[in-house]
Amino acid sequence: MTGAAALSTMSAGATLSGCTSSGPASGMKHLRPEDLDLLRAMTPAVLKGKIAPTDTAAIDQTLESFDTLMADLSAPVVAGVLQAFDVLNFGLTRGLTTGQWSAWSKASLEDAETALARLRESGIGLLNAIYAAVIRLIISSYYLIPENAASAGFMPPRKVASVVPAGTPAEEGTP
Amino acid sequence: MTDQSMVTIGNTTDPYNNAKARGWDITDASALTTPLELEADVVIVGTGAGGGTAAETLSKAGLSVVLLEAGPLKTSSQFDMQERGAYRDLYQEGTGRGTKDGGMVILQGRSVGGSTTVNWTTSFRTPPETLKFWADSMGVSGCSVEELAPHFAQMEERLNIHEWPQAPNANNGMLQRASEKLGYDWATIHRNVRGCLNLGFCGLGCPVDAKQSMLVTTIPSALDNKAKLIHHARVVRVLRDGDSVTGIEAEALTPNVRGSTGQTITVRATRTILAGGAINTPAILLRSAVPDPQSRIGKRTFLHPTTLTMAIYPESIDPFYGAPQSIYSDHFQWQNVHTGPVGFKLEVPPLQPAFAAGFYSTAGEEISSSMDQLPNTQCMIALLRDGFHEDSQGGVVELGDAGQPILDYPINEYLLEGVRRSWGIMLEMQFATGCTSARPAHKQARHYSTWKEAKAAIAELQIAPHKVTVGSAHVMGGSPMGDDPKQSVTDCDGKFHHLDNLYVMDGSLFPTSIGANPQLSIYGLVHKLASKLGAQFTA
Repeated sequence: MTGAAALSTMSAGATLSGCTSSGPASGMKHLRPEDLDLLRAMTPAVLKGKIAPTDTAAIDQTLESFDTLMADLSAPVVAGVLQAFDVLNFGLTRGLTTGQWSAWSKASLEDAETALARLRESGIGLLNAIYAAVIRLIISSYYLIPENAASAGFMPPRKVASVVPAGTPAEEGTP
Repeated sequence: MTDQSMVTIGNTTDPYNNAKARGWDITDASALTTPLELEADVVIVGTGAGGGTAAETLSKAGLSVVLLEAGPLKTSSQFDMQERGAYRDLYQEGTGRGTKDGGMVILQGRSVGGSTTVNWTTSFRTPPETLKFWADSMGVSGCSVEELAPHFAQMEERLNIHEWPQAPNANNGMLQRASEKLGYDWATIHRNVRGCLNLGFCGLGCPVDAKQSMLVTTIPSALDNKAKLIHHARVVRVLRDGDSVTGIEAEALTPNVRGSTGQTITVRATRTILAGGAINTPAILLRSAVPDPQSRIGKRTFLHPTTLTMAIYPESIDPFYGAPQSIYSDHFQWQNVHTGPVGFKLEVPPLQPAFAAGFYSTAGEEISSSMDQLPNTQCMIALLRDGFHEDSQGGVVELGDAGQPILDYPINEYLLEGVRRSWGIMLEMQFATGCTSARPAHKQARHYSTWKEAKAAIAELQIAPHKVTVGSAHVMGGSPMGDDPKQSVTDCDGKFHHLDNLYVMDGSLFPTSIGANPQLSIYGLVHKLASKLGAQFTA
């Protein structure tokens, strides 16, 4: 029941993947070049109605937030996420699990929507879990950006050190 | 929707701002450049509900106490009501902790104060049905309602636990209205708050120290009593000399608590108390390779597997503001105690956006449109009471390659039946109170516009692990207490059966789930156990 980064260990995903991964992309702490291609394709499909495929600024901002979120998870969780991405990136497993036989950099919005639907509808629990992890991480990354949280109505008070708000009751009262 | 962004909140209450003047001994292990060795009467591993309560009780008894915490020391001066920093700094694995197969996400605290720093303040005494089941079926003695009552009373007084006197926020109010409409029992929740401003950010760290968490109550008190607190210190194993435990060995963590600095901390103590919470306490026992002839350690770990339904109302709900939990219903909780279908408690969660976004398990226009309507969204949760029926044996804590705990807890048919049944009840409650659409937490579901349509859908949806969204914020069991060493890990004083001087004092002692939010159950039980240990020690 969460949230923010919600992914658990998906170690089983590793065995599905035979590929070796590269290091982080330039400017990123965890996301690799192939992960960025995957997420650039997925983000407008996951956040359809919020981010258009042509809105590269919003996509890049979300991916930057995603990379920061990865750095905030634990090492085993990050390893699990990258293993899940391996499954979705590696040619054979990518095609078999998502129907996307060409590279993610060539995927259209419809291709990404088809891929998400296949992961969601699959009878294989692991693929459902990968679907949940990918969409949660993308959506959480988007809403961890304060202006996007504000678009969902969340505009919390500003914290000011050592200032007691006027009219603070000694015991319970309305703010 | 309500814009509170022009409101400023500040505080002068952060007790840690005066740490030096109060003579507190606090060590940030991430800054250690040489190994640290300490001696004490008692070393306590963990600073949550169990560790905090034990530290205050034992330091008050005049014992020298060292408290260790793997997480960082974060205090109200740093709590800014934003999600990102809170999830990063205050939760296990940055809220990424989950079960082995990815079927359930687990929210558990990890900073000084443990989960009490981030919980939603909901306080229940252990239900009488649970205590009776433990006495009748789980070999627990000394934990009757009467025997625990004075300890609950003391901790309620200590933490200002009282019935919430204000009107519920609209999110909770809907649970009350729906219960009244459909004739279900409901009641007002008791909360551990003092001077609460009804803001709603309990899960992100209370910005004004109103929440009476361990961070601002028992730990400051223990520090006043000359206890030493070491944070950024992850306990690797207990130390042994023959059949006696002689303390602990810990590793210092990096400032972001994601890695080890390579420095070690050794604490030699006459008594060692594990209070790292269910999952971490069994993991320390497993890493220490302590005797476990019946293989009980880490077994029967319970989660109150929790599922939910989301509904959109014409009126404003603002589910992210106001006391997060103030109303509950036990109407479906105790029809049977340990026979028949699983019982559950109904509550509501706060819905800060990144947190709420994870509830939907959906993508595309459905999630975008749902999130746009978050200010009008109400959420019901059902907490399934696991560990009572023979078909509910809970999960198993194992160790990963790096010695890290992994909880293997597949969602079985017994629990899935409860998921489907609870959706029907919660959706009917939401439609009965005038929602315009509602959806259960299923990856293939959508918002349905009538109760009839929703009812037909939940009958048709495939209820299977990974199709349903289930999570947990209550981790219990794994080192259960009991009189029979064959059936339990500790005795009913919390003493480990198979070694001397080793105790467990946290939620891992529970032989089943509680059937209620567990913090007060931990406070009361640990107050009892620590008081007895302190008296024995000083005698």
